[in-house]
Amino acid sequence: MTAATPEDADRTSMVLDVKGNALDDGPGIRSVVFFKGCPLSCVWCHNPESWRRAPELSFDAEKCLTGCTRCLDACPKRALDRSDPDFVDRTACDLCFACVDACPSGALARVGRLTTFEDLMNTVRRDKPFYDASGGGVTFSGGEPTLHMDLLGRLAAGCRAEGIHTLLETAGYFRWERFEKEVLPHIDTVYFDLKVFDPQAHREYCGVSNRTIFENFTRLAALSLDGEIDILARVPLIPGITATPENVMAIGDFVLAQGVRRVRLLDYNPTWVGKVAKIGRNNPFAQQAALRTWLPKEVTASLRAKLESRGIAAE
Amino acid sequence: MTLIAPTHAPIDPPAIDPASPAAPFHPSIDRVITSRRGGTHFFVRSLLGVLATSYNRVPSLRAQLRTTDGWIDLCAGICTRSGSVSAAIRFRGGKVTAMGRVPEDVDAILVFKSGAEVRKFFAGTPTDQVRMLLKNDFYTEGSGTALNQFVYLISRATGRVQIRAMRRERASERSERRALAGATDPDLARQMRKRAEYRMAGVRSDPGVKFLADPYLSTYSLADFPRLARFLDRHLEHDAEVCPELPALTTRWHREHGYEVSEDGEAWHPLERKSLAYRYVMENRRPIIHAGDLIAGTTTSRETGVVVYPEGHGTAIWGELLTVPHRTLNPCAISAETRDLLHKDVFPFWAHRNFREWVRDTYGAPLCQRIDERFAVYFDWKSVTISHTVPDFPKMLRLGTSGLIAEIEAAISADPGEHDRNVHRRAFVVALEGLAAYSRNLAREAGRLAEAEGDPARRRELEHLAEICSQVVVGPARTLDEAVNSVWITWIGLHMESTNAGLSMGRLDQWLQPYFEVDMAGIDDAEGRDAYVKHAIELIGDLMLRCTDHLPLTPDIANHYFGGSSSDQAITVGGVTPDGEDAVNDMTYIFLKATEMLSLRDPNVNARFNLEKNSETYLKRLCEVNLITAATPSLHNDQAIFAALERYECDPRDVRDWSATGCVEPTLSGKHIGHTNFQMLSLVAALEMTLNNGWHPLMDWKVGPDTGSVEEGDFTSFERFFDAYRAQLAFLVDQSIQYNEMLGRAHQVLRPTPLLSSLIEGTIDAGKDITYGGATYNSSGAACIGLADVIDSMLVIKKLVFDQKRVTFPELKRAVDANFSDDPEILALVTNKVDLFGSGSADAVAMGNRITKMVQEIYDGYVNYRGGRYRAGFWSMSTHVSYGTLAGALPSGRLAGKPFTPGLTPQAAASASLLDNMRDVSQLDPVNMPNNIAFNVKVVPAAGESREQCVNTMSAYVRSYFQMGGMQMQMNAVTSDTLRDAMVNPESYRNLLVRISGYNAYFVTLNREMQLELIERAEYGL
Repeated sequence: MTAATPEDADRTSMVLDVKGNALDDGPGIRSVVFFKGCPLSCVWCHNPESWRRAPELSFDAEKCLTGCTRCLDACPKRALDRSDPDFVDRTACDLCFACVDACPSGALARVGRLTTFEDLMNTVRRDKPFYDASGGGVTFSGGEPTLHMDLLGRLAAGCRAEGIHTLLETAGYFRWERFEKEVLPHIDTVYFDLKVFDPQAHREYCGVSNRTIFENFTRLAALSLDGEIDILARVPLIPGITATPENVMAIGDFVLAQGVRRVRLLDYNPTWVGKVAKIGRNNPFAQQAALRTWLPKEVTASLRAKLESRGIAAE
Repeated sequence: MTLIAPTHAPIDPPAIDPASPAAPFHPSIDRVITSRRGGTHFFVRSLLGVLATSYNRVPSLRAQLRTTDGWIDLCAGICTRSGSVSAAIRFRGGKVTAMGRVPEDVDAILVFKSGAEVRKFFAGTPTDQVRMLLKNDFYTEGSGTALNQFVYLISRATGRVQIRAMRRERASERSERRALAGATDPDLARQMRKRAEYRMAGVRSDPGVKFLADPYLSTYSLADFPRLARFLDRHLEHDAEVCPELPALTTRWHREHGYEVSEDGEAWHPLERKSLAYRYVMENRRPIIHAGDLIAGTTTSRETGVVVYPEGHGTAIWGELLTVPHRTLNPCAISAETRDLLHKDVFPFWAHRNFREWVRDTYGAPLCQRIDERFAVYFDWKSVTISHTVPDFPKMLRLGTSGLIAEIEAAISADPGEHDRNVHRRAFVVALEGLAAYSRNLAREAGRLAEAEGDPARRRELEHLAEICSQVVVGPARTLDEAVNSVWITWIGLHMESTNAGLSMGRLDQWLQPYFEVDMAGIDDAEGRDAYVKHAIELIGDLMLRCTDHLPLTPDIANHYFGGSSSDQAITVGGVTPDGEDAVNDMTYIFLKATEMLSLRDPNVNARFNLEKNSETYLKRLCEVNLITAATPSLHNDQAIFAALERYECDPRDVRDWSATGCVEPTLSGKHIGHTNFQMLSLVAALEMTLNNGWHPLMDWKVGPDTGSVEEGDFTSFERFFDAYRAQLAFLVDQSIQYNEMLGRAHQVLRPTPLLSSLIEGTIDAGKDITYGGATYNSSGAACIGLADVIDSMLVIKKLVFDQKRVTFPELKRAVDANFSDDPEILALVTNKVDLFGSGSADAVAMGNRITKMVQEIYDGYVNYRGGRYRAGFWSMSTHVSYGTLAGALPSGRLAGKPFTPGLTPQAAASASLLDNMRDVSQLDPVNMPNNIAFNVKVVPAAGESREQCVNTMSAYVRSYFQMGGMQMQMNAVTSDTLRDAMVNPESYRNLLVRISGYNAYFVTLNREMQLELIERAEYGL
């Protein structure tokens, strides 16, 4: 891998993946660009591999072939050891990824690749006929796309220029001025996640203060009332953390106060608990029983009903 | 781009004296006679001894040896390849003798791999024996007919034991399927049925739609048509039965008037003989009005009849006459009388007068035929029929038989003299007279039934039918009812002339619309018009149900080879008119309504979609019908088909008038004999032969040329390997074409088709039957199987062996030969490190285009016996399963015994995104695929998605794929879980449709390998 020069540092960005044929990330058929790196560290995060901006090495023990030694032979740092329960010594590993190249089974994989504007445009452009025929487009997700303001802005502008609808999924933790200047003019729709209303709890579960987030939402909501942008507030339902009547109603009231009358509740999906170990992280929340099961349908329904009773359209 | 001149000389046939049939071919007995004959030899010898004794001692058995032609004269041998077993049995003069050797004049031999296979054969059920034949545990030499006759004689002696074993097999098959399916949810059947309850309404937006305010006809459901619901039940509940009528009549005529020579001792001209025999059949077959029907005539004398064409593959059922009602897959009833008639009178007469045996006798069992009969490499369909075409129905509707006869007689007058052209033309006239006679008989029958009918409403219908049949087919059609009856009666007539496999109805929406318009114009009030639309839906539904009144004769081997396929009578809707205008009309939507309500496997409904002319309203309706029925219609991109056919330089008006034939293949309606399924050819077989220097593993036969050895390092570059593949494939194509050409001659001698000829443009002017090349356009179309598997294998070899040198070729070969069992690392490399076809890889697309171009170029080297060119197609019917389950592992990582991918569909592992699949397939150049493709996509509605949303996504897929250049796609809209439940509870899913590769089948009628293949296909949510 060639290192990016300082001038390029913001020109290339770390991207996890581009997922084609996405039907659940906005209207129509879409491609989703997953950026890598996130300022938040929500304990229930579905994409823990997207937290760090740097590339990472992931190891899936289930895919590993017994008896195969190709990676051990390939590693110049001797950072791999079968007797180590984690297999990868992450202090010794310098992320040269020689093992990934050697691994026949895909058990060792590289998470995150440095990509350029042209790369990404070429990838998303291929599916333009599908966007056109379905009213779809490109969705920027992550990680947190706004961590990559430069590339995000240029990509969104590039899509727009080619008549491709753009949608941003964000957790809202970004510097408004730069966003307003570089990104906002090129975005058609924003899906804005509001997770925890209580500032203290937000810091506890998501790692940062929620002040910036709610301020940014307020600004975007004002623009949406002027018809300059589409905005959809989304609340991920996490058992015992966000999926409480108090939290959901507090968010609902806040949103309503900004003049927004629509909130989408995102169903909880416990499958993330298996992903944590693969990249060598430890997360005690992954062991909590409540987080290892699906959220009962009645809970979602009652939260939805509560929002509706305030005159909010809850999807 | 135009066609280059063919490079291969046509097959030069030996001169044939029509008056004397070719001498029966006997296999040569040049087997090594080893002195070491083991226990198995004596076991077989004594078994044959017991069989001989039974026939000699038991009068009822001995009676089976006496036929219309006298005592059966038959000698059948059983041996192993080494000669360790060598025994025979002779039936002659009413005496049966067993022998401890195979005599020189043996008619047919079963040649086994070794003694173990012999023992397995005699211990197995007929199904086991079919599987053994497919696995090449044994093969046959000599007359296939004689062998089938021998198998029947064995079954007469051991029938009770066999039938008991078959009953046990059926019971255990059921429990095996249950085990394979795992735990299932029976509620899925209800959810599937519920799909039809919600129906979108449409807004009139197609210029050709003159009358339908809601073209989707969303207010109608099957409940509004009790007559259709009743017929549908009949179709799904009624077991088929072998019908003796056609073989009895045709044999009777030939016994009286002679076959090679007439009763006056004159050599028959094949056209004259065929037309007279045909007229006799049509005059004497029973005119039947099916109970309660709006359409007159039936294909057979049974409720659902199986038609036996003795000069086609009819005698293939000889060995199963006793067991066919008891077999596991698609059993059918047969009466004792029919069985006796076929065994004693019909089949003996045709034993050598059928396509396969005629080629064997005339050309001395050529190599090309012996390869075909191993069932592992290619299958030439001309051994069954040539009928993959679309007749000129508009002409029949316009002129009737009387007008056609007048036109032919004018041609005769204009070309006076006693020459061959007029012999052909007169045969057309005689055949048309036969059809007319049948129609008149139907009119009489309808009149007779009307008089006897007590219910006044039904009496009126019958009186109306009598009037209709008095008008058509003799005269032109004037109303929709007359037109539909004319189409159906003509259809029956065509079936009585030659085997129906892929004979297709063409653009019925175009051809019936004028009659619908005239009828509607004559109705003044809105209420009356609504009632007439309802009548039109019922009439079209009835026509489609009439098409289910017969099934092809399916020897058990075909259940494994072409499982669940019916005749594949394709109907094509939509597209553009010959002038290039939007062709979608009222009848298009009426056909789609009937398709939606009935979910029939056959007729096989194909929809043309023209990006420039056809509306979004129409496209959405196609997708909705596809969603409700789970599998139909199949969708074709007009522009891509035009591009594919451009190089043949046909009149653009004719190209715009194309219809799908059989599965998916384009035929220029009414003008084109394209025998579009002349063969099924395994592209993978050539790859296996390339990896093994010409030796085919399953056949265990070094049949191909020497092209180099992997083990000895002959392939120093990928190019050398690719050239070797080309050489092996060219060998197989050459052999299969030789066989096609020989079978083509057989058709000219045994079964010209004067009625069909009279309905194909060009024949009357040329004075030539279509089997002699009389059509305006001629071609032969191939189905090439396993394209995606070959592309992927080539990519793996190129990348891993030659480009990246990650494995050596011998290492890869060793891993493949051992089914990767000793080398999981190589398997992992192959599956994870190479971008496959369908992954969105430019390299894979380039390889695909390179291979398809190479294939078409090989075919371009030939011109067929009718003067037409050979066209490659990439679809597979069901043979991706039958060939695949018998093939070894491949460099692509596909394991031994797994099906190939259907048609040219990318393998499930290629990409998680369906769009990658679509994009890669769409970038294959149609010019190299003129016989079309089959691209399967399994899409299923996600929980909670609305109908509108699902239809929007489907139509977006189709439109985009077509815009990128894709030729054809077919969507199965059913979940794997539902299919699994259907495997366990077939009675809840009687007409659950699935698209195999090109054709539709009822899932529950498939063999279990095919069921599993469908379940394992990649599934994408909507």
